[in-house]
Amino acid sequence: MKTWQMLNKNPQLWQRYFIREKVITAIRTFFFNRQFHEVETPLLIARPPAESYLDIFETTLLDRNRKPTKAYLSTSPEVPLKKLIVAGLGNCYALTKSFRNMETQSTLHNPEFTILEWYRVGADYRDIMEDCEELLVFINTYLKRTTPGEETKHPEELVYQDHHVNLASPWERLTIVEAFAKWAHIDFDNFLREPTARHIARKKGYSVEKKTTWEELYNQIFLNEIEPHLGKSRPTILYEFPGVMGALAKKKSSDLRFAERFEFYIEGLELGDCYSELTDWKEQKERFENELKEIKRLGKTMYDYDHNFIDALKIGLPACSGIAVGVDRLVMLFANAARIQDTLLFPADELFQ
Amino acid sequence: MSTITTAQFKKGMFIEFKDVPHLITDMQFVNPGKGSAFVRTKLRSLKTGKVQEFTFKSGESAEELPINTREMQYLYKESDSYVFMDNFSYEQYNISEGLLEGFIKYLKPNDAYQVLVYGEEAVGIRFPKKVWLKVTEAEEGAKGNTASGATKTVVVETGAVITVPLFIKFGDVIGIDPETGTYLERG
Repeated sequence: MKTWQMLNKNPQLWQRYFIREKVITAIRTFFFNRQFHEVETPLLIARPPAESYLDIFETTLLDRNRKPTKAYLSTSPEVPLKKLIVAGLGNCYALTKSFRNMETQSTLHNPEFTILEWYRVGADYRDIMEDCEELLVFINTYLKRTTPGEETKHPEELVYQDHHVNLASPWERLTIVEAFAKWAHIDFDNFLREPTARHIARKKGYSVEKKTTWEELYNQIFLNEIEPHLGKSRPTILYEFPGVMGALAKKKSSDLRFAERFEFYIEGLELGDCYSELTDWKEQKERFENELKEIKRLGKTMYDYDHNFIDALKIGLPACSGIAVGVDRLVMLFANAARIQDTLLFPADELFQ
Repeated sequence: MSTITTAQFKKGMFIEFKDVPHLITDMQFVNPGKGSAFVRTKLRSLKTGKVQEFTFKSGESAEELPINTREMQYLYKESDSYVFMDNFSYEQYNISEGLLEGFIKYLKPNDAYQVLVYGEEAVGIRFPKKVWLKVTEAEEGAKGNTASGATKTVVVETGAVITVPLFIKFGDVIGIDPETGTYLERG
């Protein structure tokens, strides 16, 4: 049965879907109050940023006067927002759609999803951590105030899948190094050396083959041993990721093996991914070129990256930090929905059944 | 046994995991931020009935186990297991509670089921697409309530509570999808 048919049969279900409009209203009010500009960024683009771990939707732009041109659906509003910051926009955000292929058969992904990205100029990832803490409490407070029967409930508390969560700041902050030590009993300094990482993973019983990469071992241990513990009863900010992950993140100046990047988790939901932005055009160009090689090696859809973005970095991106938040997952959290599909009126798995 | 990769994993498949046969009860793809794809599974041990989560690298291989199905009649419950009888050999098999998952509330004595057999052990049943059960408790549908889609709950002979349309009455036999517990049709 399609969602609209279920709604027709069971009108009480509408309440869950109405959470989305409130979350969106709260987000816009939050940034309006802080004098951030909201801008629209294109969904149909000519040159994506090179990111090998994503699969892109490819289409064709037809023009009567020239040969058909390859076109792509945007995977995030990051590059256009950064160009606008170079152009002088200042603090800004986009609340828009993004598209990522191959993201089916998952209760946490829909190939078309709603993304919120905001950027603070003259800030680093620590400032964005505070924004996240404030935004979540702001949305929760707005929902409680506008829901009959919930007005008197504590504005910093919510229940997700039978678990109580307290959103009050400060949230738990754990570096990747601390998280690996605490939950996987791994000394990350050792794990950063590939042969040692392979040895550690094998000893833990993971399959390690010749073709297995360091990134796969890192993420497999993370997903099996660390992620299940994150964001229990209060949100967790996981920060300072290995530098090899994050094509657009700035390296930490005191330890170049790590990037100034964080993610935040609530009850197992990964909700946002932030970094201090890389502003060095030479390094950005080199990273994009490496990503393109990786895309080719993986046999994914090939494309050329956005050279105009490198031009923008040459003019100068001011020091800034930004984050991408999955709005559908935020709605899951506030609507107490177990699956992303339960927050969407037309989930992709129904459309493409 | 045959070697398969995560691309062939399916809910309901049996694989060997850490030297113990397991049933895949749930699976989905996960894409960590800035990482390759992984397959997150829920695996039920056929030894202990316990469920654990494990995340495989996409493309990782595993041994798929040969599971046979045999038609058996459900006889009765015996402490925390359920006794079935092979209709041809008259041999009896016990299936522990954990391995019958959510099907227990639809089990009807003397009915025949497709029992999954691994080696010489019964390890579960294949859920039928539809089970037919008699309604044993039902309230009258509110008079005059003709709104399409209005529902009520009834209890069927095996004790399961099902949400049904208002016109279903005591004594009706109804078809239920045991996978989701939803009402399908009236017999």
